[in-house]
Amino acid sequence: MNSHGKKKRIGVFVCHCGVNIAAMVDVKRVAEEMGAYPGVAFSTDYIYMCSDPGQQVILDKVIEEKLDAVIVACCSPTLHEITFQNAAKLAGLSPFQVEIANIREQVSWVHTDREEATLKAIRIVRSLVEKIRYNKNLEPIEVDVTRRAMVIGAGISGIQAALDIADQGYEVLLVEKEASIGGHMIQLSETFPTLDCSQCIMTPKMVEVSRHPNIKLMTYHEVESISGFVGNFTVRIKKKPRYVDEVACTMCGDCEVVCPEIVPDDFNLGLSYRKAIYLPFPQAIPGTYTLDIDSCLGLWPIRCSACKDACEVNAIDFDQKEEIIEEKVGAITVCTGYDLYSMKSLGEFGGEKYEDVVDGLEFERILSASGPTGGEVRRPSDGKVPKSIVFIQCCGSRDPENHKSYCSRICCMYTAKHAMLYKHHVPDGQATVFYIDVRTGGKRFEEFYQRTVEEGNVLYLRGKVSKVYQEGDKIIVHGSDTLTGRKVEMEADMVVLAMAMEKKEGTEELLRKLNISADTDGWLAEAHPKLKPVESINVGFYLAGCANGPKDIPDAVAQASAAAAKVGTLFAQEKLQHDPAIVPVNEELCSGCEICVNVCPYDARELDSEKGIVIVNEVLCEGCGACAAACPSGAAQKRNQTDNQIFSMLSAILKK
Amino acid sequence: MRIKLKFEENEKKFIDRVNELSGENVYSCYQCGNCSSGCPFVFEMDILPNQIIRLVQMGREEELIGSKALFLCASCFTCQSRCPKGINIANVAEAVRHLIEPKGKDYFGPQEIPAELADELPQQALVAVYRKFSK
Amino acid sequence: MGNKKTKLHYYPGCTLKEKTTNLDDTTYAVMDLLGYELIEPENWTCCGAEFPLTEEKIVGLAAPVRILRQVKLEGGNKVFTVCSFCFNVLKRANEAMVTDPLKHKRINAFLKDDITIDRVTGDKTTGFPEYNGDVSVLHLLEFIRDEVGYEKIRALIKRDLGKVKVVPYYGCRLLRPKGKIGIDKPDDPSIFEEFLENIGCEVIDFPFKQECCGSYLSLSMPDAASEASYNVLRSAKLNGADVLALSCPLCYYNLDRRQDRIKEKFPEFHEMPVLFFTQLLAWALGVDEEILGLDQHFCDPRSVLGIDKSGVEI
Repeated sequence: MNSHGKKKRIGVFVCHCGVNIAAMVDVKRVAEEMGAYPGVAFSTDYIYMCSDPGQQVILDKVIEEKLDAVIVACCSPTLHEITFQNAAKLAGLSPFQVEIANIREQVSWVHTDREEATLKAIRIVRSLVEKIRYNKNLEPIEVDVTRRAMVIGAGISGIQAALDIADQGYEVLLVEKEASIGGHMIQLSETFPTLDCSQCIMTPKMVEVSRHPNIKLMTYHEVESISGFVGNFTVRIKKKPRYVDEVACTMCGDCEVVCPEIVPDDFNLGLSYRKAIYLPFPQAIPGTYTLDIDSCLGLWPIRCSACKDACEVNAIDFDQKEEIIEEKVGAITVCTGYDLYSMKSLGEFGGEKYEDVVDGLEFERILSASGPTGGEVRRPSDGKVPKSIVFIQCCGSRDPENHKSYCSRICCMYTAKHAMLYKHHVPDGQATVFYIDVRTGGKRFEEFYQRTVEEGNVLYLRGKVSKVYQEGDKIIVHGSDTLTGRKVEMEADMVVLAMAMEKKEGTEELLRKLNISADTDGWLAEAHPKLKPVESINVGFYLAGCANGPKDIPDAVAQASAAAAKVGTLFAQEKLQHDPAIVPVNEELCSGCEICVNVCPYDARELDSEKGIVIVNEVLCEGCGACAAACPSGAAQKRNQTDNQIFSMLSAILKK
Repeated sequence: MRIKLKFEENEKKFIDRVNELSGENVYSCYQCGNCSSGCPFVFEMDILPNQIIRLVQMGREEELIGSKALFLCASCFTCQSRCPKGINIANVAEAVRHLIEPKGKDYFGPQEIPAELADELPQQALVAVYRKFSK
Repeated sequence: MGNKKTKLHYYPGCTLKEKTTNLDDTTYAVMDLLGYELIEPENWTCCGAEFPLTEEKIVGLAAPVRILRQVKLEGGNKVFTVCSFCFNVLKRANEAMVTDPLKHKRINAFLKDDITIDRVTGDKTTGFPEYNGDVSVLHLLEFIRDEVGYEKIRALIKRDLGKVKVVPYYGCRLLRPKGKIGIDKPDDPSIFEEFLENIGCEVIDFPFKQECCGSYLSLSMPDAASEASYNVLRSAKLNGADVLALSCPLCYYNLDRRQDRIKEKFPEFHEMPVLFFTQLLAWALGVDEEILGLDQHFCDPRSVLGIDKSGVEI
């Protein structure tokens, strides 16, 4: 019924999408048959409904034919629903009187029999006619927006995102679970293709973060849980005890000197050692020591209190406890980065058996001026300068059968850089690279690679290595050169494996906390691979850096700025509009059984104990329909998708 | 070292037959060379295992007929266990051997067993080598 | 309990009955001590040694499937082998009967017309049931780990092997093809090491434990095989091993019996003793030296077991 109590006059518009739909679906027949369907007052087809003239057809016909509702049979609603809603709006219709029948992704693209496909298209359109008969006009729900952002992870992406949001004038919480900000980039030696020292270009940004009035730095903190919705999130953040007062600590290092516990230094990936009380690296921010409680002898002064006794400013506090902090934010940017795939997975390369077979990140530390060898290239086993290094690319990447199916994107370039830097350090050394393809798709990347080959006399052999093992003090590599058609066996002093990048450890747990999704490889999923690359499918969450896939520094920084701009766009709105297609409670039918309360993933429903019925927080409700499916009395029915509508749709689809 | 590449009935049939007999898809090989790097008998081969696959991809049956490499496979499956695409290269080699056998020579016959070893050879070696390399 | 033995199907394979009888004898000896009575499937034949890799050579599946069907007919639900070749062929044939409907159909159609004739009465048996891959094929190393248990082995040990530095040599057919066939991960196996540790050996790791020894190429391409064998033994020696342990009679032939040939080709080669894992186990469990068949070896392994030339335990 329309607003005047008359039967709705429904228009059907069938799109050809060029040949995308028309080649597999007889669009003329769909339009013809729908024209004769009860309730359909007008029906036509057009080559591109989304084009200007196509939209004009809708606009004109709504007016001429006095249509009350419009069905467009075309591509997925994620693409053009808004286009057609706007066209209908111009003709005076409510956007809730527009429905999309997806006959492209769900029909023409997935079928091979034209007759069957056409019949399926007709049934889908029919079902939407049945639905739209009962669609009501709804008013959007307006909500306030908290203009304060949280950024999770403070590597280069998180730092850039935080700075860009902060510079737009909004407050930012920058949450980092490690003791210092910096991420993987601060571990790198020099960066391709310009060879700037990583620390030299990164530390100014780190300092800027620490001094920025709009940034609240929360290192050694972890996100515990998130509730709420876009513009209005409540986050609970765990503050892990550092056992050192950040403000009081002067970084004098007296505590470190006396600490008796020596453990592998994770910043140097175990290539050197640190004490249980430690500064991750000299430029760490915040500039404070941290007591690693897992390595410490224990917090009982009777057992050991050497650090506490040595600290002249009394910065060490064994009584610090874990705290939970609750904060309100309007947007969340996830910059949690990556891990390197473990060498343990490559048994044919010895797993982690051989000390002089290292991964790319370990070699970065060996090359780094602040690294465990003080910037000299020395191999881990005996500290000798390696005269021959073999670099192996695609270790775990591009291997759908055994490891990761994807290309890790950065290894070609960092291997070229490793070979070049090695030659800078050891000019008479021989660098050999085993590769499958060399991919240099960034700005000035190809030139850099060619320079490595020419100036470094680096030998690139095209073939995947099959076996690496130690014999005496040499590492033996069995590879091949497919260009000359020869198996290649060679001895090296050291081997560097360009291990694949993989999702950060703990990603699954984070996904659960944030209620966002990942792709099949575990990388965080963007809302659209091309058109919404920095947005998560869940509104209000943004992605940057390697959290959603392997990236080099320029791409990570660009994506972080893009995510920050998106946060700015959100915060620029006066009010946020929430989709009104939610699931209200029919007070007369509700018995207060609370089944819906338990199934709601958004905590949008609760029992009103006075009335004995369930009430709904309209802004929390996402209209997912879990409650509607569970409700035994029919009191929970989604707006414009009531039980009545669903059953009408089903019978329209199942009818011959 | 020049070939005129063509994909006519013969070539297509050869490729299809190799795929059919081996149960593998030679087109899924991206020529990384891992099979050749790991094969324990490459040092005796005229062409590499990855080149066997390559020649099949190119439909070069004639070139494969004379190849010694096909008869150096001991079904050790090192290639299969490390192939990033999960291709069973030993199956492909066996399919090629099967297809070229009528045209090629019998690679191993009873007359080739050294008399002084005949007594102590393990039976399994005799059975396996005939199965694998004789018409 | 008493002395009642558990009956268990065992498929020895041809080579064990004709050439490497020491592998067969030690298998019987240790399984007896562990409480098993071994049953060889009646009328067993050669397994075929090489699993047919293409559809055209499917007839090669007839022999192994027939053996497995016989185990089933005798009421067995599992059969173990010690020869790696036999293990590989039987296990692959069995797997094909489960996962490949076409092979299953073709082989069963072929085998249903089998006729067996009783040697004594001359009675003919026909009309065999289909075989559906429901016998499990195990290698003795798996059987010991999963069904006997290392604890029991440790409790039965009579001789200390502590001074023997052993490299486990898997070769190809215990580990590959990758997937459901191998008894462990192809490039990171540990079952053999665990076995050796549990019988009291000092286990030495070496990078050639899963490399091919040359296999049957020792017939068709002897030079290629010698080099492959040389690489394996050389690596074992370099890593400090006294003895190489294995399970395959063909590996044994290449790595022990052909050491003379390796020496011809590689003058710097040093001999190295090779022992079957069952010989090591038998020795540890106190089996008499003569059952070990040590005189069959080219390179005398007595000294690594602590026996002097005259056969006296040192």
